[in-house]
Amino acid sequence: MRIKIDGIEIDVTSGETILEAARRAGIHIPTLCYHEAFGGQGICRMCIVEVKEGNRTRLVASCTYPVNGEIEVKTSTPEIERIRRNIVMLLYRRAPNSEFMKRLYEEYGRPADITPADPEESCIMCRLCVRACEKVGSHAISAVLRGTEKRISTPYDEPSPDCIGCCACAQVCPTGTIKVSTMPGKYEIWNKAFEMDRCESCGRPFVPPVILEHVRSKLGPEFTEEHLCPDCRKKKTGKIMADSHMSK
Amino acid sequence: MSQLSMNNTAARTILVCCGTGCQANGSMAVYQAFRRELADSPGTQVHTYTKSTGCNGWCEKGPLVKILPDEITYCRVKSEDVPEIIASLRYGTVMERLLYRDPVTKQVYRSHRDTNFYKKQRKVALRNIGEIDPANIQDYLDRDGYNALRKALTMPPAQVIEEVLQSGLRGRGGGGFPTGLKWKACAAVERTPRYVICNGDEGDPGAFMDRSIMEGDPHSVLEGMIICAHAIGASAGFIYVRDEYDLAVHHLSRAVEDARKHGFLGKNILGSDLSFDIEIVRGGGAFVCGEETALIASIEGNPGEPRDKYIFPTEKGLWGQPTVINNVETWANVPVIINRGAAEFASIGTTGSKGTKVFSLVGKVVNTGLVEVPMGTTLREIIYDIGEGIQKGRKFKAVQTGGPSGGCIPEDLLDLEVDFDSLTAAGSMMGSGGLIVMDDRTCMVEVARYYVNFLAGESCGKCVPCREGISLLLETLTRICEGKGRLEDLDLLESVSATLQQAALCALGRTAPNPVLSTLKYFRDEYLAHIVDHRCPAGICKELTEFYIDPELCTGCGRCRRKCPANAVAGEKKQAHVIDPSRCIKCGECINNCNFQAVKVK
Repeated sequence: MRIKIDGIEIDVTSGETILEAARRAGIHIPTLCYHEAFGGQGICRMCIVEVKEGNRTRLVASCTYPVNGEIEVKTSTPEIERIRRNIVMLLYRRAPNSEFMKRLYEEYGRPADITPADPEESCIMCRLCVRACEKVGSHAISAVLRGTEKRISTPYDEPSPDCIGCCACAQVCPTGTIKVSTMPGKYEIWNKAFEMDRCESCGRPFVPPVILEHVRSKLGPEFTEEHLCPDCRKKKTGKIMADSHMSK
Repeated sequence: MSQLSMNNTAARTILVCCGTGCQANGSMAVYQAFRRELADSPGTQVHTYTKSTGCNGWCEKGPLVKILPDEITYCRVKSEDVPEIIASLRYGTVMERLLYRDPVTKQVYRSHRDTNFYKKQRKVALRNIGEIDPANIQDYLDRDGYNALRKALTMPPAQVIEEVLQSGLRGRGGGGFPTGLKWKACAAVERTPRYVICNGDEGDPGAFMDRSIMEGDPHSVLEGMIICAHAIGASAGFIYVRDEYDLAVHHLSRAVEDARKHGFLGKNILGSDLSFDIEIVRGGGAFVCGEETALIASIEGNPGEPRDKYIFPTEKGLWGQPTVINNVETWANVPVIINRGAAEFASIGTTGSKGTKVFSLVGKVVNTGLVEVPMGTTLREIIYDIGEGIQKGRKFKAVQTGGPSGGCIPEDLLDLEVDFDSLTAAGSMMGSGGLIVMDDRTCMVEVARYYVNFLAGESCGKCVPCREGISLLLETLTRICEGKGRLEDLDLLESVSATLQQAALCALGRTAPNPVLSTLKYFRDEYLAHIVDHRCPAGICKELTEFYIDPELCTGCGRCRRKCPANAVAGEKKQAHVIDPSRCIKCGECINNCNFQAVKVK
């Protein structure tokens, strides 16, 4: 079926979200909690757009709205821009302590002069970390508590027995809130320390055994038992390729 | 004591109200006393049965004891009164001192039915409550119980849906969505299994409509759900009850068991093709779980967070299957519609809202309690006729409808005919039916702050507008209440409220600014008094309040002096008293207790 986004006609498959269709067509809709690997969450509401279906016009979150019929979409109206400015203002008030939010706050013209609730806070609760942990890691973190107290943590704020230290949460975090502290031979995340195994070739510590186990359980027989760090693996692969060329 | 006209040897039923309000006032002790006294005197000439019933609604006058068939209603009964009541039954007399006496006309009422409180009511959803023992299925069967199910099973499913559609029944949980349309949409989805859910997660402060129905007439809810199961082809049902409602869970569980024994639940119900059973799920008491997608998530074992509802639960509900979810009161109406027909139901109410609505009438009203009135009854009738006006003769200020996300309606809208659409147009909402009456000792800014504070704890915290917006609203309102408000704060409140209404994920967030916007609309002068004049006209916000005594009105009775916990009031007997502002802690005991309206707010 065909829909119109900002006047541009786009072919979509039924069930595809407005955001996905727009991105495919190169139309920009701002998002904070969206990642193409995880799909829409409907949390940040930055991606609000105006949908006209028949005679009915309403505001919807484009990341969760599935297209099921002929619609016309506007990705920006004065009303939508007001909402986005307020969202940026609210998030900056909550979490001013990151370059990411500072930049966004400036980008949106410093909407409303408000006093940040906690100048040290940097988490905007987009929950990309939680989604990453579900997909890549092991469901070790989640959004805990309720209402204005809600935050991201491990169960009871204790080091989680489920955490495998994959650091996917820290990787995906847009504000750099989730910290990984590295020490010789080990690192710490979510108050849990991970001792690393050494590379069997160069002897450098490179991965905690629990991650290898996790990967083994996901990959099954494809998993190779070699204890090689990324550098040595690259060298080895290069050598194999070079050797096979030489022998030809 | 006046003589009874009844033959005093006839069998009698004593109904002791054991609803939540009456229980709090000691009705269980009254009930036990009746059981004990009657067991102790087997030689009694009267055959008497004692039953504990659900809530009669007249909580202000409880514990209530009703005697049938004499139609006598005793108010505020204590266990000490029981031997005398039993003696009066034996001698065929009526105990006048326990009858209701109208405080104005001094008229004494033998039956509660003739009082103003009951005369303007029409019981449909509450038809059995107070009349039956909720733990006894026979009582329900004796009052037409499960006849609607029998009738529905003889009708094709589509005809049942059509009947509900024609009745004009709209969801009583707050949304007001036409129930028949919901059923129709769900039945139209090809996938099975389909599910039926009863939303019993009533969480508004001061609301107890659904609680009373689940406690007082659980079978009416079950019957409604089973009829729906037949209509949409559902195989399983769930009743989601908030965990605090212990008695409701108890009575519902008993009802489910008894219904199974009688063949109303289980395989091939009443010999038909319908197989359907019901499970009771106890919620954790989160207000947001009253939102249907959050409730569904909670039943599934996930955190109680809503999702965007671009696809309705009728298509993708519990475990992704087509699901009908209705509120307790909605379910209780269904058997009546099937039994008496859509036309009769649709003859009650307004053009857009059919039937009756149950309200919990609380706050500063004389008759607090549970009332059921036809849609379209005015707020004035509910508050002044049924509720008998404001306590202590104070002045009415506002009535808050629709729970925490409802709004405050001022005096000049008291003649508003209450239905789903009129309340929404007034900037409030029907919600599940809470009516909180407020008098002139209510600060409207503080009221807005109170509700926003409630929502700050009860928002699920998932989407940004709701979590962060409510946090900013609360901070701003608190600032105004503390006397540090600025005029720009009003713009900020309005701007953030608009974002919540337009962009929040679920109905909780979208309606959360209603308490703020409705008070800003109708009581803006109070906000301005706080910000510009640095005074709280109601004398509630401590930083902005100073009490004084008007020497012209003060009779020197000394009541305020005795009540003051800070010894801030001084004065000789029969001389005008004076408040020492330096000692006053602004608790309001003096103004609340003065019988001459002599204590004033500066």
